[in-house]
Amino acid sequence: MEKDGFFNNEGNGMGIPQAWNSIFGMELETQVPNCFVNSNWDNSMDQSDPFESALSSIVSSPVNSHSGIPNSNSGGENMVLKELIGRLGIICNSGDISPQSCIVGNSSSNTSCYNTPLNSPPNLNLSIIDHGNSIPRNHQFPHMVESGKLSRVSSNQSFKTTEFPIPIPIPASDKKLSRLSLIPDNKELDSSMEESSLSEQYPNGETGIKSQSQSTYSNGRKRKVIPKGNGIETHSSTLSAKDSKAVEEPEKEVSDAKRSKSGEEGNGIEKEKEEGNLKPTKENAKPEPPKDYIHVRARRGQATDSHSLAERVRREKISERMKFLQDLVPGCNKLTGKAVMLDEIINYVQSLQRQVEFLSMKLANINPRTDMNMEAVLSKDTHASMLNTMNNMDALAQPLYVMAHNGPQNPLTSMMHHGSNMKSSQIDGFGEASAFWGNDLQSVVQTGFSQNHGPSFYGTMGTGQMKVEL
Amino acid sequence: MSPPQQPTSINPNSLKIQLAYRFLHNLNNLNTKRSNLDNTRIRRSHRVKLAAYASMAYVVGSRRAWSRAILWKIRNRAVLARFKRVDHKITTPLRHHHVHAGSVKRRTPSCSNPKREYSDPFGNSGQEVKLRKLVPGSSTMDALGLLDETADYIKCLATQVEVMKNLVDLYSII
Repeated sequence: MEKDGFFNNEGNGMGIPQAWNSIFGMELETQVPNCFVNSNWDNSMDQSDPFESALSSIVSSPVNSHSGIPNSNSGGENMVLKELIGRLGIICNSGDISPQSCIVGNSSSNTSCYNTPLNSPPNLNLSIIDHGNSIPRNHQFPHMVESGKLSRVSSNQSFKTTEFPIPIPIPASDKKLSRLSLIPDNKELDSSMEESSLSEQYPNGETGIKSQSQSTYSNGRKRKVIPKGNGIETHSSTLSAKDSKAVEEPEKEVSDAKRSKSGEEGNGIEKEKEEGNLKPTKENAKPEPPKDYIHVRARRGQATDSHSLAERVRREKISERMKFLQDLVPGCNKLTGKAVMLDEIINYVQSLQRQVEFLSMKLANINPRTDMNMEAVLSKDTHASMLNTMNNMDALAQPLYVMAHNGPQNPLTSMMHHGSNMKSSQIDGFGEASAFWGNDLQSVVQTGFSQNHGPSFYGTMGTGQMKVEL
Repeated sequence: MSPPQQPTSINPNSLKIQLAYRFLHNLNNLNTKRSNLDNTRIRRSHRVKLAAYASMAYVVGSRRAWSRAILWKIRNRAVLARFKRVDHKITTPLRHHHVHAGSVKRRTPSCSNPKREYSDPFGNSGQEVKLRKLVPGSSTMDALGLLDETADYIKCLATQVEVMKNLVDLYSII
């Protein structure tokens, strides 16, 4: 097992090389400078071919350039790691490497990578992060970081301890993470936190990694995890978030560093990994399009996988609603694009509101103000007639013409009068309207109708029947 | 009189019927209540417009945010008007230059967020802000909810316009 080999070799003080082995499974040339040269590498090298060239090229480059790094080992490691990461990123970007292969090849190491212990030295993280900017893909990163960290941590036990808890919380955090990935806000939150912590470190360069930075990392991590837990829409959010947070702390630091450097891709990948293999397809799909370039200060939550997943879901919802709106707004079938559609929608709503205003003005003008009561009555009447009007214009044609003949009469009264003369269809409408006719109309009619055709309607009202017999 | 025929298939629950009924009812109420007050055309048209919106919102009820916002606005018109007048009186003597519109409108829900800048995930902040201004009660929603409200609002608005058109046609035939 790579893992075993990884741990076993710690005694050599060459944790990094071992990590490299387990992580990449690539065959590194023995030309690698001191800290990196490791026979173990050859063992695990064959797993990922795409990395071979990159690794070999990187490995062969002199690694001793880093002098600022307090830890000699880590310094060299950082450099090499950085370059490796850079190359890997390039390779990964080329898309030749399917995450699956990488994942499968280094399944054990992958999990360990993602779960890299937090105790890994921040220096390494920084260096890796710096270099990681060029690497879009980073599911390998945790390995690198891990290796870097491992180099710092001389004790094997630390690794072991860190590793064990890692797999355990994964299932617990899977649910959360599965949703975490869907919440870009969390990531951004985290990224901001990470940024702050990372930014401090970055200026320090590889040398500056202090325990403080680590703690900030972890703190940021914690903070990040918590909001994630809260923000998660799924069920198991908070609890799993906290659990995962506590457990994943060590991982987070590493992953954080990686994420920041890799522009969240590693984060997304890590998340997916943590999800366990709930969505192996997604893992494979997510890293495919590495949209986000790696920035030192890349915001969290922009990982291609988890973030894009959430964004994709959201975009789908929005497009669904836009389609529905397209049906509502006339003449929008050909339009494409949210902006154009939104413009059209805004115009339509504005036009509708203006129409309401215009029509209300018209209505106000039509109804003479002197006949308020008549208006009331007529309103009832017209309501009944309108019921028919909307369904069948013909029913009203005749009565309306009759009303027109009345001419000078108050249109309202004539309408009322006519309404009473309407035939069955009207009566049916009246029947429907009779419910509300009764109460209001009676009082109104008694006052208003006294002047016009009172008796006919009055009688009607009195009897409570709409049928008018003239 | 001929025996009453079967009524044309009128769905009493259809939005149009409900809107028509409610609109006429509101019109009636408005007219009767204010029959003694100023009946200038402008006021009357304004009242009719209020009746239209009120009926629209009433039919939809509390299901939608926009209907709730409209109802709230209308029901508190009196209170808001009082505030407006008070503010106007207070602010006028003190500040002559300041726009009173700001103070006048500050309590209406639609104006509670008149110029608020929303961080727009779409990137088209201008459009969303405009949409929020148009659709009442949509200031407190995210983009998704905003689209939902807009769709419902458009549907009801279109139906209301249709009802009013029919009414106008009815009147104009006379």
